[in-house]
Amino acid sequence: MAFDIVKYTRASDAVGWSDLDFDEFERNPLPDHVLRSLRYMCDVEYHTVCYLRDMLTTPSHKEPEIAAFMTMWNREEFWHGEALSAVLERHGIHVDYSALKAKRLKLGFKDRLDPIKQSFGSNLIGIDFAAVHMAWGAANEWSANAAYHRLAALEGADHPVLAELLKRIAQQETKHVAFYATQARERLAKSKKARVIARFALRKFWGPVGSTIAEPDEVTHVMGHLFQGSEGRKLVRGIDAHIARLPGLEGLTIVENSLEARGITGEDREPTPEPEVAAA
Amino acid sequence: MTTNDETTIAPAATAFDVSEFARTAKGFHRDELDLEQFEQHGLEPDAARLLRVLRDLERSTMARMRNLLVTATHKDARVTAFLTTWAYEKFWLADALDAVLEASRAEEDLPADEGHHRLTVSERRDRRGTIRRAISANFAGPQIVAAHVTAGLADEWITHAAYRRLAGIAESLSSVVETVLEVKDRHIRFFQEEAERRLGESPKARRITRKELLGTAWPIGSVERPAEERSFFERIVFGGAEGREEARGIGALISALPGMTAVGSTIEARLVP
Ligand SMILES: [Fe+2]
Ligand SMILES: [Fe+2]
Repeated sequence: MAFDIVKYTRASDAVGWSDLDFDEFERNPLPDHVLRSLRYMCDVEYHTVCYLRDMLTTPSHKEPEIAAFMTMWNREEFWHGEALSAVLERHGIHVDYSALKAKRLKLGFKDRLDPIKQSFGSNLIGIDFAAVHMAWGAANEWSANAAYHRLAALEGADHPVLAELLKRIAQQETKHVAFYATQARERLAKSKKARVIARFALRKFWGPVGSTIAEPDEVTHVMGHLFQGSEGRKLVRGIDAHIARLPGLEGLTIVENSLEARGITGEDREPTPEPEVAAA
Repeated sequence: MTTNDETTIAPAATAFDVSEFARTAKGFHRDELDLEQFEQHGLEPDAARLLRVLRDLERSTMARMRNLLVTATHKDARVTAFLTTWAYEKFWLADALDAVLEASRAEEDLPADEGHHRLTVSERRDRRGTIRRAISANFAGPQIVAAHVTAGLADEWITHAAYRRLAGIAESLSSVVETVLEVKDRHIRFFQEEAERRLGESPKARRITRKELLGTAWPIGSVERPAEERSFFERIVFGGAEGREEARGIGALISALPGMTAVGSTIEARLVP
C-alpha cells in the first residue's frame, strides 16, 4: 500500500477541540488515575520534536517525501500535546513551556538508538539506518493509536467529550502508522542487514513510548491503566502482530514482553483503579 | 555557572506570543495564487532561477532542524514550539513557489542546479557533519540558542532582500512575494526579539554568536548548494549599486545587534559578489 504524501500534507491540520464542550470537565472532572495517564501522554506528544532529531540524523531527511511527512507529523504531535494540556488545564494541571523545558533539562535527552549505533559501530556503514527508525516509529505509532482507542473505550461512557477528543487524535495516529509502516516495509525488504539490525534493535532496546522520558512508576501506571487484563492484552497482541508482519521482524512480541516485565498481565482484576495497579 | 538561558522561567518581557503564532499558522497557499497568468506568460529566466533558489531554501527546514535539535536548543520548549510552526509555514511557502514555477514551465530551461560545492576553508565548518556539530555545540551549552536565533534573523534579512529583488525583476510575482513576506514577518519578529534579548544578557552568548555568524555560508543552506547557483544568487540579489545598498543595509542591521558591531561588515562583504 503506497502512502499518498500530497494528500496527507494537504489534509494535515492541528487537531481541533473548539467545538467540544470542555466545561463538561468542570461539571464532571476526570478521576486522578486518568489525569495521571493523560499527563504522561501529553508529555510524550510534546517531546516529539526530540524524537524528530533522532530521525533527522539519518540522511533520509533529504528525501522530499520524508521531509514533508516529518514536518507535518511533528506539528500534529505538538497539537496532540496542546489538546491534552487543554484538558489538564481544566483540572488545574498546568503544562507550559517552562515545565517542558525543565523536564528536558533534567532528562538530558539521548538518542534512543545510540546504544544500537554503538554496538554495531562501523558495521552500520552503508546501511539504510532509516529502516530501523521507521520500524521503531511504526511500533510507537501503533502503540499510541491503541492507547488512545483504549482510553476512549474505558472512559467513553462517563466522559464522552474526552472520548471524542481521543478519537480525533487516534485518527491522526492511524495516518502516522500508515507512513511509518509503509516506509519500514519497503526499506526492510531491500536489505538483509537492515532487517537483522532492526530485529536486534527492537528486541533488545525497544520500550513503551515515553519510557525514556518518564519515571518508571509513571510508565507502569499508564501501561497498567490501559493494558492490564484480557481486553488490554488482546490489544497488545494486536500491536505485536502488526510489528511481526514487517520484514525480518517475524515472531517478535516486544510490546507484550515489555508489559510482562512491568508486571502487567492479561489477568482481569477487580476494577480498582489507581495505586493498586501501579504497585503491581 | 547559571546563566539566564538555564533558568526554566519564561522570559516575562517577551512580546511574541508563540501559542498565538502556532494557533494561526498559515498553510496551503495554492488557492490564493493566480497560477493561470504564469501558465500563459511564463517567467523570465532570472526570475525563475531565483524563484527556484528560494523554493529550495524554504524547503530545507528539516536539515536546519537537525542542526538545531542536536544542540541544547532542543531543550528550550518555547523555541521548539516556534520551530514546529515555522517549519510548517515554510513548507507551504516552498509549495507555493513550487506551484508558480511549475505553472510557468520555466524550470526546464534553467541550467542544472547540481554541481560542485564551494571549496573554501571557512565553509568546512558549516558543512561538517551532525556529530561534530553536536559535540562542539554541547561545549557551547544553552547559549547556543542565541547563536541559532541570531543566525535565523540574519538569514531572514538576507532572504527578504532576495524576495524584494524577485518582485523587482518580475512584476507578475509581486503578489506572490507579498504573500511570502507576510508569512515571514512573524518569523523575523520572533528571531529579532529572541536575538536581542539573549545577546543583551550574556557575553558568552555574544561570543558564540559572533563565531556562528562568521562561520555560516549565507543564506543558511547555501553550503549544500552548487557553487554556480550561489554565485547567481549573489549576483542577482546583491550585484549592482542597488544590491550593494541592500547588503550594506543588512550589514548595518547585524552590526546594531548587541555585540555584533564587527560582524556586520564581514557578512556584508561576503554577500556582495
Ligand atoms: Fe500523537
Ligand atoms: Fe503519532
